[in-house]
Amino acid sequence: MGKLNSTVVLIPAHNEEATVGDIVAQVRRLWRCPVVVIDDCSTDATAPIARRAGATVLPLTIQLGAWGAIQTGLRHALRQGYRIAVTLDADGQHDPEDIGALLRPLTTDAADVAIGAFPERASRARRLAWSYFRWLTGLELEDITSGFRAYNRAAMHALASREASLLDYQDVGVLLILRGKGLRIVEAPVAMQPRAAGASRIFRSWWVVGKYMLQTSVLCIARVGFNPSQPPAAD
Amino acid sequence: MITYQLTSMAIGILLAAVILFLVRRDHLHGPYSLWWIGAAATVALLGFFPRLFDLLASKLGISYPPILAIVLGFSMLLVKILTMDLERSRQERLIRRLAQRLAMLEAQAPEPNGADTTEHDPPPPPRATG
Repeated sequence: MGKLNSTVVLIPAHNEEATVGDIVAQVRRLWRCPVVVIDDCSTDATAPIARRAGATVLPLTIQLGAWGAIQTGLRHALRQGYRIAVTLDADGQHDPEDIGALLRPLTTDAADVAIGAFPERASRARRLAWSYFRWLTGLELEDITSGFRAYNRAAMHALASREASLLDYQDVGVLLILRGKGLRIVEAPVAMQPRAAGASRIFRSWWVVGKYMLQTSVLCIARVGFNPSQPPAAD
Repeated sequence: MITYQLTSMAIGILLAAVILFLVRRDHLHGPYSLWWIGAAATVALLGFFPRLFDLLASKLGISYPPILAIVLGFSMLLVKILTMDLERSRQERLIRRLAQRLAMLEAQAPEPNGADTTEHDPPPPPRATG
């Protein structure tokens, strides 16, 4: 537990060989903090490239999706004793320069979770989806689906739990668990890069969007007034 | 001339025999084998005494007994499928956490010198085996 003062950057990656090396190198150069790439069963050279760029690679043997990969990183960060974990997409849409804006609310203890928000990036359909989920959950956040976040240890504990293991995306379900634990969430406005490669995992086709909207709605309704009070499992 | 009694007995015995054979061969894991032995016993009993439903139906005020059999059978199937999905969700959670734990352990293991450690397993077989 010699790293109690430190921050780790977690990057979930699935077939991101084109961008992951640059991002790892950039984060390390700018922030001099350890970088962990969670390789979500990539079939390309994502893992060796990340390793060569100086990241620790957690290789998943089964593809768990974006949230499963991030949870792996959070569990790793907890075990290693890191105090703050920052999550960042591997496709280059989050600028590592902005990590500072996310860390500020956590280091001053103004919040437990900071979310990098880029509301202006969103298409009209996405905005509509967001306001629908805001209405359904009562969450007062601009950017619900942003994957650019910083968590302190209390938040990491909440999200490494078993109850968070059946979630599929790092969005509403995660926010509801955090809120259920009484953790403070703030948004930090940051700049948004156009995606260097690949497309959003969620907003891809109408069929996927429909399935996502329905599944997330059920999740929201199932958690109304739900306050989990189980002790965190140590597994 | 085959009577309906014979037909129902044959069906009952056949189903019960298949189930008991599978349980004896250890193809069904503990708690499931209990459920299925119960099912085998019920099927055999009803095969031998199909009139049981007529009796039960008249007691419950149902004028067309076969519908009672269908409704009860359907309900049991629903309960079974529901518990199967519960079990699958439990297993999904376990599998995910196992994969995560494995990734954490692999990251800690010392890497062989200069070797490329990105060997890939063949794509996993579909996990939905009922």
